[in-house]
Formats: sequence, structure tokens, C-alpha cells
Amino acid sequence: MSDQPTGTPTFADVNRDVLRTLEPPGHRYFAWMSVVALILAGGILFWTGQVWWGIGMAGKRVPQMWALYITTFVFWIGIGHAGTLISAVLYLFRARWRTSIYRAAEAMTIFAVLTAGLFPLIHAGRMWFAYFLLPYPNQRYLWPNFRSPLVWDVFAISTYLSISTVFFIVGLVPDIAALRDASTGWRRRIYALLALGWEGSDNQWRHYRRAYGLFAALATPLVLSVHSVVSWDFAMALVPGWHSTLFAPFFVDGAIFSGFAMVAVLVLPMRHFFGLHAYIRDKHLDAMSKLILVTSLVLTYFYLSEIFTALYSGDHFEKASLFWKVTRTYAWALWLMYFCNCIAPLIFFVKKARTHPVVIYVVSILVLIGMWFERFNIIVPSLAHGFYPYTWGIFVPSPTDTGIVIGSFAWFFLLFLGFIKLMPSLSIVEVKETLPPPMRDTRHGAHH
Amino acid sequence: MNRRDFFKIVGATGAAAATAGCQGAGEHILPLVVPNEQLVPGVASWFATVCRECPAGCGVLARNRDGRVVKLEGNPDHPVNAGALCIRGQAALQGLYHPDRFAGPRVRAGGGLTPATWENAQKLVVERLAALRGAGKGRAVALVTQLEQGSLGVLADRWTQALGARPHVTLEPFAYEAIRAASRITFGRDAIPYYALEEAQVVVSFGADFVETWLSTVGYTRAFARMHAFRDGRAGTFIHVEPRQSLTASNADEWVRNAPGTEGMVALAVLRLMLEEGLGDRRFADAVARVDVKQVAERSGVAEATLRHLARAFGHARPGLAIGGGVAVSGTNATETQVAINLLNAAAGNVGRTVRFGPDSAYGRVTPYAEVAQLVQAMQRGEIEVLLLGQGVNPVHALPAGLGFAEAARRVGLVVSLATQPDETTALAHVILPDTHWLEAWGDYAPREGVTGLLQPTMSPVRDARPLGDVLLAVGRAVLGSEEGKGPLPWASFEQYLKAAWEPVVRGQWAAALRQGGVWRDVAPAAVQATAGPLAAGAAALEGDAGGFALLAYPSLRFYDGRGASRAWLQEAPDTMTQAVWDAWVEVPAEAAARLGVATGDVVRVSSPHGALELPAYVSATLHPQAVAIPLGHRYAPYHVPRYVAAAPTAMSPAALLGPATDAASGGAAWLGVRVTLARTGARRPLAILQATHDQDHRELAQHVDLRAAREQALRGRAGRHETISMYADQVYPGYHWGLAIDVDACVGCQACVVACQAENNVAVTGKASAAYGRQLHWIRIERWAEGPAAHPTNTFLPMLCQHCEVAPCEPVCPVFAAYRTEEGLNGQVYNRCVGTRYCGNNCPYHVRRFNWFQYEFPAPLEVQLNPDVTVRQLGIMEKCTMCIQRIIAGKDHARDAKRTVRDGDILTACQQTCPTRAITFGNLTDDTSAVTGLRHSPRAYTVLEELGTRPGVTYLKKVVREHA
Repeated sequence: MSDQPTGTPTFADVNRDVLRTLEPPGHRYFAWMSVVALILAGGILFWTGQVWWGIGMAGKRVPQMWALYITTFVFWIGIGHAGTLISAVLYLFRARWRTSIYRAAEAMTIFAVLTAGLFPLIHAGRMWFAYFLLPYPNQRYLWPNFRSPLVWDVFAISTYLSISTVFFIVGLVPDIAALRDASTGWRRRIYALLALGWEGSDNQWRHYRRAYGLFAALATPLVLSVHSVVSWDFAMALVPGWHSTLFAPFFVDGAIFSGFAMVAVLVLPMRHFFGLHAYIRDKHLDAMSKLILVTSLVLTYFYLSEIFTALYSGDHFEKASLFWKVTRTYAWALWLMYFCNCIAPLIFFVKKARTHPVVIYVVSILVLIGMWFERFNIIVPSLAHGFYPYTWGIFVPSPTDTGIVIGSFAWFFLLFLGFIKLMPSLSIVEVKETLPPPMRDTRHGAHH
Repeated sequence: MNRRDFFKIVGATGAAAATAGCQGAGEHILPLVVPNEQLVPGVASWFATVCRECPAGCGVLARNRDGRVVKLEGNPDHPVNAGALCIRGQAALQGLYHPDRFAGPRVRAGGGLTPATWENAQKLVVERLAALRGAGKGRAVALVTQLEQGSLGVLADRWTQALGARPHVTLEPFAYEAIRAASRITFGRDAIPYYALEEAQVVVSFGADFVETWLSTVGYTRAFARMHAFRDGRAGTFIHVEPRQSLTASNADEWVRNAPGTEGMVALAVLRLMLEEGLGDRRFADAVARVDVKQVAERSGVAEATLRHLARAFGHARPGLAIGGGVAVSGTNATETQVAINLLNAAAGNVGRTVRFGPDSAYGRVTPYAEVAQLVQAMQRGEIEVLLLGQGVNPVHALPAGLGFAEAARRVGLVVSLATQPDETTALAHVILPDTHWLEAWGDYAPREGVTGLLQPTMSPVRDARPLGDVLLAVGRAVLGSEEGKGPLPWASFEQYLKAAWEPVVRGQWAAALRQGGVWRDVAPAAVQATAGPLAAGAAALEGDAGGFALLAYPSLRFYDGRGASRAWLQEAPDTMTQAVWDAWVEVPAEAAARLGVATGDVVRVSSPHGALELPAYVSATLHPQAVAIPLGHRYAPYHVPRYVAAAPTAMSPAALLGPATDAASGGAAWLGVRVTLARTGARRPLAILQATHDQDHRELAQHVDLRAAREQALRGRAGRHETISMYADQVYPGYHWGLAIDVDACVGCQACVVACQAENNVAVTGKASAAYGRQLHWIRIERWAEGPAAHPTNTFLPMLCQHCEVAPCEPVCPVFAAYRTEEGLNGQVYNRCVGTRYCGNNCPYHVRRFNWFQYEFPAPLEVQLNPDVTVRQLGIMEKCTMCIQRIIAGKDHARDAKRTVRDGDILTACQQTCPTRAITFGNLTDDTSAVTGLRHSPRAYTVLEELGTRPGVTYLKKVVREHA
């Protein structure tokens, strides 16, 4: 649909094109910004009401003491994973195609974690005492319970947020320096601060490379660990449908799957609106689609294993829970999830579909819906049909929890929209690395 | 001296102080400026009194903390209830502290009631009475009270005589007049006897709902447990005949479903078959000579084989007992039915053994319904100028609409109500002179011959109220123009009258009698001779559409005749069978529901020739296909606006559908008297039903064992019990290890423990919407699990509360140690530490943890009732059963003071204390001699969801089922 530049951009093109994305925004941008801000304001209002009147404002009940907030929390944590995977793991494996998308993916990671981090607070009955979960010194020697997966969460998420933030900032340094040199006024002052005195000397480059590699190595285990820990919130519990050793790899795979879908959802419009077709090229889309396809297949395998273990174990509670999920009140959510996560991505077996932006976009949206519902299906229907038949019950979302969940999306997009106008959403440095170095011979790559 | 004795002594000595305290009590509860030396802050005083929530007259101990009554418990010395209380007794405190209680006298001005002073309000009454007396129209004055079988009743009689008024009418909607009339016919004695359930081997009940309301619920439920529970070794048999599977029917070993109104013919057929088998006194053969068993089987729907089996079971019992009650003996043939039941007892030789005249029930003294009807007719004719209505009496709501009380009351010149709270009847009153609550009053009450309980004020009045006795004395003297100390009503107060009346009996031992809670003596059984002429059995005559459904209007366990309906605790405690809270419903048989196309929660219009009701349907597979059932007593939702009758959208009580029909022989009201038709309205009003399903889905939550197997195991012990294995070391208990044992075999599902726990532990009420959405806060719940065919299931009641697991799933998941294991084997919950992640709530396999979704309120002055020993929880935190940790602490303190360790009986949890069947046992599991340890090793012991390895501290004992009754 879009006209693909056939030639290779020059270093100058890169500078121009990236800096162009940072030009003062137009009306359309502000329109989007205000819509998002308005939705966010609504979410904040609902949250205020919930803090004031109590968590009962959300649709939770016995047996679903957890519902949409934890669903959305896990969803956002999952989204965060693709960013680190792209920036760190693919960097270590020298997957060149990552360069054009990793900046956006990293930003997405941080914003997703920032969004996810809100949910434990929103979820807590007395969020003003949430600091009890931190191991801070106090005269009563009260300590959090290190056996509780929720405390592991605190550490996992805070570690993940700090590492990915540092990694993000380190990766930005040379680019920020370029921006610093091209900007004036308050922007320049901020960029100057963030550029950490970058001058582009050989020595700095050497240190930069080393630091970057080191952080990539540090961040890599987090890709596996953080979502494993989050999965243990469920796996460590007794609830039928939760208590499974499958959960850690299952969650990690699902996280990468949804993360790539979110990257696609963010990057494709960027490419379209900023005309970055020269940098985010078909081969990039193809690689992303392939990854989505692979993770989808792995996920399908996990789904089948989950069903198989429930049936094969002979555990009455597990079986009852499974049959209930598949056939009763929330069956639509389960089947929707299977369609979105297992069926829809299969279209990427077709080569054309893998590079077709609309197809990728639609599939990615479906994957995001499917992955949100995957968490919903783990939490709500499992709790609905647990050990004790007396309390079996149906969760009905209320305006409050729906509003807050929608508000969280607004919060995420607000951060992202801010990012694309303040920071280079393509890595100038790494894109340039993939290009042939500029030669005095102007014929080389000069026209296109 | 144990703690209880100590408190009783404190209570008795404190009684004098309390009387001094309530003189001239104002509207407000004042802090003590000059401390009462009997009153030690932080130490409770216990006052013995009598529960007046229904005419059963159970003994009560009121726990007074710092001048306020915070909890009621049964009086262990009282012969009727022996320490237990029913759900209504437990909830009486909410009547005492009800936010809607009249703050003082009211006088109708214009449309509404406006506050008035006692002088002005009484003056209005006195002037009218004096004028009538002057005109020689004393007969135009009527006094109606609830059953006052004691000094107050005598005083009321005296008052009516002194004023020349109509005889004092006692009004009880359920007066068992048929039992009384049948006793007259069969035994020549006008009385309701004492039925010794505890001594029977086989009890056959024709509709007698003793677990719910029959005569004396707590007393008979206790007796039933002694007769029936496997624990006590008797393991008797209980057979119940009723068209509806009521709570009592659910407790039967065999429930026989008959066509409505055919209990009498069933009883006669059983008698005939019994005599045919040679199992009874042949003298009664003539009486049943005309009974055609085949025809009875056909008309009643009870198979001949079942009838024969009943006859054999009953005939072989040594002794047996047949009882009648509920809807069965309230039809137009009620007396005939009860006569047939009497003959069954007589022929089987039970009279004098399990049917005992002598300790006759106070119900036998209720003014006959015929006289009530006469009064209403006189009112209609305009012959009554002044009508005084005591508290506990709400004829507009509780009497059949066909009697036309409301219409008649409008023709009365001056209606004076002494009610404590607004209700349907006070809506018609011109003057309100609020009576004191029974917890604030002096009095006496004799529930049966030989037992008289004494009432004493347990605290100063919460509102500006005056006791009925005082008002009668003051008004009477003013009308007669006599002075205090002179004339027919010389006493300064009812208290003085009471003490004067008792002095010859107690001879200076007044304090001791008060301390004991009353005076009791054994009453020798009176010998009676049964006589019987030939009997013909007929079904109850029903008015209305012949194709319609017989309306079973039955008194509710929770609200009785409606007296309890203003208590939010009772509204929120579920009806055990349906597990519905807050709303009323019409029980529709499944066949009819399918025909009409209604599901549970669909609003159905129920029409009789006398009125119509619109109620949500509860579809029941067990109800007789030709009947619909509606519980009596449902009224407005307490302290919700609009809360009063005038504003209530529709009536909820089936009394609105009933006509003026009576049982001809006794004159009693016919609660079974109409046929109704059903129509779908298309509207929906979903019921708040707490239990998702009655099917255990093979999870073996409520387990049972065959009687024969149970006997064998009791003898030899159970083989092959395996302990759950763990990779971790067992917990070591350095001191106590608290545990509970719950005998599922003994639990009758009466819900008394639910409300007792609510009162003890400051458990908030959430309202219908929250309860319907799984947000109720009860720490203990009674589950009903059904097995077998849908139309004829066997029900087991399982009290479920925190299991205090040794390997508790709730504890490791709490990120802040709010849920933790104590050294004494409790699952503690530190409210202040709780952040509200609710992880524990998800992870509890029993789902017994309760979350404060909102900040729940206790509308003033209900907050006065809050137990000062228990934290009131804030929004956003988790709570659950603590095994009454405040009582454990008190018990340990007491034991330490006595320099010993805690023994059985030192600590009773609130649920255990009130249980009429003693199904719950609390104690120390590290003590090998404690009762709870013994029960934990019983062959019947099991733990719920044992396979999860949670190692609960709560042990259950399997229900014992009879292969065939």
C-alpha cells in the first residue's frame, strides 16, 4: 500500500528522517493526545471513587477476589517483555533486523511496566498501606513474607523496571547527543543532561559498546525470570486451573507473543505517519511476523498441554474446572482466546501476509485481545469454579473496574505519544551501523 | 467456681443496681458520672431474663458490658432451652437497639405521628376511657396483648375488670388451637401436652415443624437431638409427613410427601394398618373401622406400602410419638387430624410416656381465635371505641386478611399501640405509648406448667419507653380516679406488683430466683383416658379455583409471624432450605414452573379469592405438585428507605391471601384454607441465594455413614485411616492447640450459630444486593447439600467456617504476614496489617474468608451492641472466624487466675454456646482427655477436602443415615 523506498538511505537521511519525527506536532497529534488524556482522566476518577468508597466499587466478589485488575496487570507485564527481548536478546544474538524497532520496543517496555505497576496499587483493598510489601527497616521488625509470590513480584517488577530503564537510557545516549546538537531551548537543556556529555570519541564508543553489551546480558535473564515470577502468583496457589508447573514457560512465551503484537501495533502507525518505510522495511515486518507465528505455535502447544494435564491427572477438581471453562458461562472468552492466539496467527504461514501491514495490524490486535483474555480466562473462570461448590459464582465487571482498565490503556498511550515527540523513536546510531558508511564518492547511495 | 457462676453472682447482685439504674431513665444512654460500684469497666455482668421473641419463653442470660447489653445467651439452668437460643433469640438485641424504635410517645396529628410527652399522650387515652366509663360503655374498651402467661397477664385481666372493659385478649397467630381441641375431644383435657421427644424411639411428625417454630423450637430441637443423634447412643428414627420438604422434613430419616391437607387420613390409615398388624390397642379398632386404606393412599398420594411401613415402624417403637403441627394441623380439618394423631399415640400406648399432660404448654391459654374474630366483628360494628394493642402484636400483618382487621381498626375511635417499633398496625394507631423492650423490663413468664422464668431489666431503656404494666396502672388509676395505694390497682409500678405477687412464692429468696432466671418444679403427669368414636377422614376444604394450588402458608424460622422481620441479622441469615436472604418468595413446584415458563427469580402473581401477591418464584423440585408455599412473616427491609408498610411496594406475607375460614371444631384460623392460581408477570426480581448449588459434585464435603456401619465402627474402630503425609515437620504446639469438632449428624440447620457469631464478632450486615453478589460477611454458614433424586433428596447440613488449617493455604500467600499461624493452632488475621490483596481469599479452598468490600455501617444506636472485645473492621481488609479468640483469651485468663490450665467448658465459642443440638464442640487438642480430642479420633471423624493436605483444626463427624426408616 505504501511506496517503499527502494534505495538505501544515507547517514544524512537518517538524521533528517529521525529528527523529523521530533518536529513540533500538528493538530492531529494534539487531538489524539486529548482523547487519550480524557480517557485517562475518566480512569483516574473511577479510581478515586474506588479509593473513597472501597474496592467493592469494582465487580469483585467471592469467589473472584481477583479479576480485571490482575488480568490487566499480567497483560501489561507481558507486553513489557518483547521490548527487552528485542533490545537485549536479539542484540546478543546479533539479529540485525532489530535495529529499526528496538527503540520503540524498549520505550514500550518501560511504559508497559509503569502501567502494570499501577495495578497492584489499584487492586489492594487498602492501597495506602501497600508499602507494607517493601522490606523497609522499622522499629517493630515487621518484614514482608518472603514466601508470598506477591513479594517476589515486588522484587521482580522493580528489578525489571530499573534494569530496563537504565538499558533504555544507556542506549539513548549517542542519539540524545545528536538531538542535543540539533536542538535549542529547554529541549537542549534536557538533552544535554541526558546525553551525559557524549562527544562521540573512540574511547566513549568503546565504553558505550561494553556497557551496552553488559546491560544486554543483565537484562536477558529478566526476560525469563520476571514473567516466570508473575506466573507463580498463580502456580503457587492451590486454585484448580492455577496450580501448574507449566505456568512459567507458558507465561514467558505468551508474554513475548503479546509483546511482539504490541510492537507491531505501535510501529506500523509510526512507519505510516512518519514515512519511515526506508528503515522499517518488509524484512523487519517479516521477521516480526515469523516470531509471532512461532510464539503462537508454542502457545498452542502449551494450551494443549494444559488440557492434557488436566485430563490425564485424573484430578477431579482440575477436570471439573476445565469442563466448566470450556462449556459454561465464560466459554465464549475461552474460545475467543483460542481463536485469537492459535488460529489467527496461522495466516503468517502465507508469505504475503507476513509483510502486509494491514494483515499484521489486524492479527496483532487480535493477539492482544486474545492475550488479555488468556489472563482473564486464567483468573476469572478458574476462580468461578474452584474447590468449593457453595461459593461458585459469576463475576460481572462494574463501571469502575472497566473504566480503570480502559484508563490504563490511555495512560500507556499517553506515555508513548509523549515519547515519540520527545525522543528519537528510531535508533540513529544503530540504523547507521547497518548502513554503508558515507563515502566521499557521492555517487554511492546519493540518489534514490 | 467457674466463670459463668461468677458472672451469675455478679449479675444477681447487680440486679438491684440495675433497677435503681432504670428509674427515670431518659432517652439517652448516659456515661456513668458516679460509677456504680457493681459495675467494673471491662468486666461483663450477666443478667438472667426470659426471651419474649415468641411464646416459647426460653431463659436468657444477657451479657452487660459497661451498662450496655452486647450479647444474649441461653440460660443453662433454664429447663426449656438449657443454654441454647434460636436464631430469633440471638437477634433480639437488634430489636432492643433498632434504629426505628419509637424514641418516645407519639400522637397522630394530621396524617402523621408527632412526638408528645407521656403526660399528654396518656391524657388522651385517660380522657377517652374515663368518658366511656362515665357513660357506662366500658365494654367499648378492648385490650389486646401477646401471650402474657404471668403476672402481666393477670394484671391485664385485673385492669380490664376494674375498668369494666372487654376481657383481655391475647393474640398469637399460631395458637395450636386444634391440638387443644383435640386433647379435649380425645383426652377430655383442654390443654397442649408436653411431648417427650427425647424419650421416643420413633417420632412420626405430621407437619410439626419443631426445628422451625413448633411450640418451643429450642426445647424440642434439643429433645430431638437427644432422641435422634447417633452421638447420644439412641439413634432413634424420625419420620416426617408434609407436602413440602421443610427444614424439619430435611432432618427426618424419612420424609413422606402427602397431598396438602391429607395428614389426618394418613394418620388414620396408619392406625388402621397398625391395628391390623396387631401392634396396638384393639380398643381403637372401631374408630378406624371405616377407613379405607386404598382410598387414603390414592387421595394422599402416599403409597400403601409406605403407610404399612409407617404403621410397623411406629407400632414397634417402645415408645413412639406422633405429633402434629404446622400446616397439617391448621386446615379446616385440623382438629380431626390432631384427633387421629392422638389416637395413634393412645393406641400405641404413648400417652403418659411420651405424651404428657401436666406440664402443659402456655399456648393452651391463648385467647381462642373465635374470640378474636368476635372482637374484630365488634370493631366492625363500631362497638369498640378504644383499642389498646400491646407490643409483639401486629394483627394487620399477621392475621389472615379475610378477618378484615385493618378495615375494622379504622372504625375504632382511638387505637392505642404500645409497640416499640413502627409496623403495619401502628400505621393505624392514634396514640403510641412505646413499651419497653423485654430486655429492659420486669416480668415473669411461664412457658409451661411448672416453669416460670423471671424477667429483669438487663440495662436501662435505650429509648423513652414505659413498661406496659406501668402504663396500665397509671392509666387505670387515672380513669378510676383512685390514688396510689388504693383501689383495685394500688401498685406504684408493675415492678412493685410483680414483687408483691412473687413474695409468697419466693419468701425472701427473690434474688436467688432472679439469679437462677426463674422458678421451676417438676409437674406430675396427669392421667388421662383416651376415648374415640368412629372417625371419618377427610381432606382439608380449600376455597378457590378447584384447579389451583393449595397455598401452604407456613411460619418462618427467621421471622416467626413477622415479629423478627425488622432485624437485619435475621434478614441476612439465609433460609436454610432455599439459602435465600432478604426477600420473600413463593415456592413453586417444578412441574408448574415448567408449565408456566417461570424460573427462580421471575415474579409470579399469586391470586386467591381474597387477594393477590406478587412475589419472585423459587422453583422447587420437592414441593407437592398441587401446592405452592409462601413463608409467613416477611415484611419490609429493615432500615432501608422506604421501610414502612405505607411505603412498601407490595405485601409479602401470604396472610394477605387468606380468607376468614376456620377449623370448625376448634375455631382456630385456617392457615391452609385457600387455593391460589399462579400467573407470570414477566417481571424479574432475582432472589439473593447464597449457595450456588446444592450438589456436592462428588467432592464429599458433607459425608455420611450407614447406621449399621457407624455402630460397628463405634465398637471396633475404623480401619484403614490414613494420615496425610507431608515433607515438612509437624507443627509443635507448646501449649494449647484449639480445635473444633462439628457433628454433622446433630446439625439441624437452624442458623442460630450464624446470628450468634454475628452478634459476638461484630459481623456487619451487607444488604440484599451485596449478599446476592457473594459479598455477605458471615463467618459461619450452614450449607445444605442434597443427594438422591431431585424430587426427594436427602439433605445434609454442613456448618462451614474457617478450618484453622495446620498447613493453611491462606498463610504463605499473604505478603505481609497478616494471615499467620499462631502457636495455639489458630489461623490468625492481623487486621491492622492487612493490605487487602485478597490472595488469601482466593487460595482458601473453603472460601470462608470474608472481605470488607465497603465501609459497613451500624446505624445508630446499633453500634451500642458492638462487642467491645472484638475489633470492628475497616474497609479493604480480610476477616474470618477466629474461634472467638476473645473468649479464648478470657478463658485462659480465668484459668490462669485459678492456677490451672484451661479445661473443657471454660471456653465456649459463640456458635457452640447457642447450638440447640450441641453439634459444635470446642476444646484443646493437645489434651488427650478433652471432648474435642475424643471426637477427633471418632470413627466418624473426617476433615473437609482432606486430600488437599490442609490438615484442618476443625473435625467433622459424619452424618449417620438409616438404610430405611
